[in-house]
Amino acid sequence: MGRHVHTAGLAVAAADPVRPSRPGWWRQALALTGKDIRAELRTRVAMSAVGVFTFAALMLLAIATEQLRDAQAVRQTVVYGLLDRQSVAVTGADLRPAWDAVGKMGLLWVLLSFAAFSGLSHSFVHEEETGTVTALRLSAPAGAIYAGKLLFNLLLLFAIAAVVTPVYMLITGMPAGTPGVLALLMLGGCGGLAATATIVAALAARAGSGGALYGALGLPLLVVFLLLLLNAASGLYTVDASVVRIIRDVGGLFSYDVLIVAVSALTFQYVWEE
Amino acid sequence: MMTTTSTPPASSPSGRKTAPIQGAWWKFVLVGALMCYVIYGAFFIAGGAVGFGHSGDPARIVFFHVPVAVLSYVCYAVGAVYGVLFLRRGKPLDDVKSASSLELGFVFCILATITGSIFAGVQWGQYWNWDPRETSIAIMLLLYASYLVLRSALADNVAHRGRLSAVYVLVALVPATFLIWVVPRIPYVQSLHPQNVIANPSNTSPSYKAVLFPSFLAFTMLYVWLLQVRVRFIQLSERRASRRAEQRGQ
Repeated sequence: MGRHVHTAGLAVAAADPVRPSRPGWWRQALALTGKDIRAELRTRVAMSAVGVFTFAALMLLAIATEQLRDAQAVRQTVVYGLLDRQSVAVTGADLRPAWDAVGKMGLLWVLLSFAAFSGLSHSFVHEEETGTVTALRLSAPAGAIYAGKLLFNLLLLFAIAAVVTPVYMLITGMPAGTPGVLALLMLGGCGGLAATATIVAALAARAGSGGALYGALGLPLLVVFLLLLLNAASGLYTVDASVVRIIRDVGGLFSYDVLIVAVSALTFQYVWEE
Repeated sequence: MMTTTSTPPASSPSGRKTAPIQGAWWKFVLVGALMCYVIYGAFFIAGGAVGFGHSGDPARIVFFHVPVAVLSYVCYAVGAVYGVLFLRRGKPLDDVKSASSLELGFVFCILATITGSIFAGVQWGQYWNWDPRETSIAIMLLLYASYLVLRSALADNVAHRGRLSAVYVLVALVPATFLIWVVPRIPYVQSLHPQNVIANPSNTSPSYKAVLFPSFLAFTMLYVWLLQVRVRFIQLSERRASRRAEQRGQ
């Protein structure tokens, strides 16, 4: 049976199920991530699904924002694409003030959120569909499963964001701001998105209904997250923003990540165990 | 404040004849009298407030909007507490209480949105302004709605329904907490709402306090009572369903 190959590494890692020690726990989590990555590289279901989804959505975006890009030439003088509302009155040009750097960042994250909620449930749904879920349940504690799945989703999302963000910046002309802060923001954003997507994927897979429920349960949780992210982005694109403000705004974003991970880690066993 | 009237045991033959509302008449009288007082007081005891239109009349919505808006968060908190209790103890009654509280919270949330929107239209000129509190209540509505979606998707999966919905409530508690304490303070979103007007006693006249505090009490009592009725209703319908299943089995 080919299915059992997937969990073979885990069974070895769980040699001593009576007294699980910390290093064992970590090794189990990493073994699960490794197994998911190997399975993913074999079939490339999640990666191709999320990848095609994202690039199709990027295409739609590029066409939809064609009109908005007309105004960009006028705005070359405005630093970082942030609109100075007074210049609108002065020039009288229709600069479409909503399409500023923060708006572009917001649209990027809407895109990434939809992409995440189109494919990240795969890791749990696949276990349920193929029946490997019971073997997984027996071979590792719930905490290790959660950590392993979270890590896998995080890596997948990092890979997607690393490809999509530069392309998106080329298409829409989203400025980078301070590169270090942008990297931190993307890190915090991917963290929150992956954490939310993982626990909701576990719930949706367990509830037994597929994609429709996944989006309906996950996206409402992301609204506040997007607000925090845009708040941090407005700090990123403000010229000479104080360090305290950057730390506070990006810290707010990371606090959301930490809280979601903490709550998920505490409650995951109730979703996972029979 | 209120004690749950004990439900008659299913096996007793007299239990089936008891009207579900028996023993609740004093709640009906008390909540009804308080509500009548609040409605009367909102229009005839409290005067117009300075800064709200030329007559000050739009401010009267405070007696209905604020308690309902506060309750829409309280309901969520109560639902989350019963969710934790259900995960810890596994008593089905805790799950029923959690779900009932969240259902009521959804209703209060809709009422808060509607009353708030009416007020926004009258006072600020537009029915929807994306003020942080308006955004918050819209997100809260979404969270409630997706909870109810999950609940209905799990309607025939009774074994997992309680645990999965309790976990969802707790996960969604993170954004809900941010909505109350963080989002209104984010500089990215600026508020039109009066800040800390009610929290500071010197901002409200005695006539407002004389109506507002009873209003909070009335709406809270109404919530507790509705929660009891709803829990009772679910218990009775489950009991009827199991009795029918038994009859079919015989």
